[in-house]
Amino acid sequence: MPLQIVDSNTRAVPAPHTDATERELLERIARSKDQAAFRTLYGNYYQRLSRLLARMSVRREDIEEVINDTFWVVWTKAAEFRGASQLSTWIIGIAYRRALNALRRAKLRPVADQPFDEDSISVNSTEEEETNQQWLSQGLERLPVEQRMALELTYTLGHSCEEVAAILDCPVNTVKTRLFRARETLKQVLPGLAGMSGDNS
Amino acid sequence: MNRMPDTHAEAWALLPWLANGRIAAEDREWVEAHVQGCAECRAELASQRLVASHVNREESASPQPAASEEQRSFNKLWARIEASESVVTPATGTTGTAMAVPRSSRTVRWLAAAVVVQAIGLGILGMTLSNQDSGAVDKFETVTDSEARLDAPAVSLAFAPQTSMGTVNTLLTHQGLSLVGGPGSAGNYRAVLSADAVASGATADSVAAVLSKDPNVTFAQPVAH
Repeated sequence: MPLQIVDSNTRAVPAPHTDATERELLERIARSKDQAAFRTLYGNYYQRLSRLLARMSVRREDIEEVINDTFWVVWTKAAEFRGASQLSTWIIGIAYRRALNALRRAKLRPVADQPFDEDSISVNSTEEEETNQQWLSQGLERLPVEQRMALELTYTLGHSCEEVAAILDCPVNTVKTRLFRARETLKQVLPGLAGMSGDNS
Repeated sequence: MNRMPDTHAEAWALLPWLANGRIAAEDREWVEAHVQGCAECRAELASQRLVASHVNREESASPQPAASEEQRSFNKLWARIEASESVVTPATGTTGTAMAVPRSSRTVRWLAAAVVVQAIGLGILGMTLSNQDSGAVDKFETVTDSEARLDAPAVSLAFAPQTSMGTVNTLLTHQGLSLVGGPGSAGNYRAVLSADAVASGATADSVAAVLSKDPNVTFAQPVAH
């Protein structure tokens, strides 16, 4: 059985990822620089951010730096969190901006005109789902990072349009536009999606 | 249903949040009503649900970082925080400028303080046991937790000289350990597992195995009772 984090206040019970619980953790950090609360909050986000950043094409060696830079801000600015938005949108928003910086530094930012490698798609697969998954992976890689993040935040992390706007620090209409373009791009590369629309319209 | 162009465009834009269930309450009713009567939006909603399903499958198939990786990353961050905070500690010298407190001396001071606190804790525990009916004693908790049981699974530990107080604290807390003694002649400390950690499956062997891989720990072995 894996070890659980033992917090002298919460004992071995993993904290549920509710906004209220996380705000309590943040308050403990702001009020008394509570390391156990900080460690719990870090654990709540580590895997989520690791996977999100990997899917933003942030280099493996930069992911830890982005996460730690993000939580450095959380530690130092905990008292300044205004609470106007969910804590998760604040933290993920910080990570997003740090990731953009990392991508710029690494010059690995995905671009829309990246050539599409059709040869890498296995057309011999008898499993339609598997083929679609391969097409989708290729399609996602073609998306500019802003569009991909809007899509990931909506579908992977399940954020509302307003929350995505808060994280990406842009107007709600910009989020809708980015997702609209992402949807159009995916339709061009995903035969299943194009067929679905065509069959039904 | 009559399809007003702007209504269709607006509904179309909101379909991703109808698909993920996070559409705003004030929009849900009219968008759903529009989708009911619009074949194009129904098809698009179906395709967006397909995209959502694929994205989630891809996300869940991506490798999860190991727990040890998370702990190592956190230790790095904590060391950075500690280093930063020690830089702004006022110096006691005559220059008047801020300077870093040597980490090793801080660690030694902290460990010495921890043992003193433990002694106080044991004293209070003894008084409490001998006066169980004489009233409540204010509860306080430290890394040398009053829950530490002398018969609990124990490990012998030594830390690298540069290990900071915060890192030692993190290592002990996250493994459910409390210091009960040390340093010995070889610089080793004795720590025991809390009841919670034991209940969660931790053993002296498993904790020693985890700690021995940490770069801040130079020695970690289970102690035989």
